[in-house]
Amino acid sequence: MSGAEPLLTIKFMPQREFEITIGKTGEVELHLKGFKGKGCLETVKMFEQIVGEMKAQQATSEFYEPEELVQYRIDQRH
Amino acid sequence: MSAVCILTPVVIMAWPAFSAAVVAAAGSLGYQLAAEVHNQSPGVTQRQESGAVRLEIERSEVVTNQLGRDQRIAVSREGVTVTFSRDARGKASLCVTGNGQSADDLRALGEELSQAVVQQYVYQKLMDEMRTRGFNVVEEEVNEDRSIRLKVRHWEN
Repeated sequence: MSGAEPLLTIKFMPQREFEITIGKTGEVELHLKGFKGKGCLETVKMFEQIVGEMKAQQATSEFYEPEELVQYRIDQRH
Repeated sequence: MSAVCILTPVVIMAWPAFSAAVVAAAGSLGYQLAAEVHNQSPGVTQRQESGAVRLEIERSEVVTNQLGRDQRIAVSREGVTVTFSRDARGKASLCVTGNGQSADDLRALGEELSQAVVQQYVYQKLMDEMRTRGFNVVEEEVNEDRSIRLKVRHWEN
């Protein structure tokens, strides 16, 4: 095995975080955090299915960034 | 943060879930359960009280598979009684009665309680769905304005 090759590479998507505020009228304000790219669209759709109709939506700058992937590389050293 | 969304709730639920939401919301506002009626004989006329204010919960549907069954639940507080029922179109409606209060006061009380019922419905539905989908609620608090804030975490595969 070449010393430059990693022994093990683990890839996984990072943790997602949401902040949900249910107003006293039942209206829901949803803040999606930790998303980059359009991966949050599926989550928005899921909350629409749970709660109801979309009244307003605003994408922040992270929305337009590419999807991120966390990668851990474990090397074997002799 | 990637997006901020505002969602308007659509309330679709069966009568048991609706009455449970009414009891929970009413309790949080200091109302007590006055009566829950499941059956009323056909032809029995409801008592119409003068000065009663009638409201309906927008975008609501109370589903039932029991045709012709008259279901209603009443809660009361300090002489004011609010009776929730399912109207002929299946919408959730409420009738507010009281002694000495103006129609505007009764309307305000009815709107306050119906909003609390919708909030309770949304809270319960979100909690159930998120539990099912493996989301973790890591923080929960009720703000001074009675809004509920939830902080949720989830690891995507």
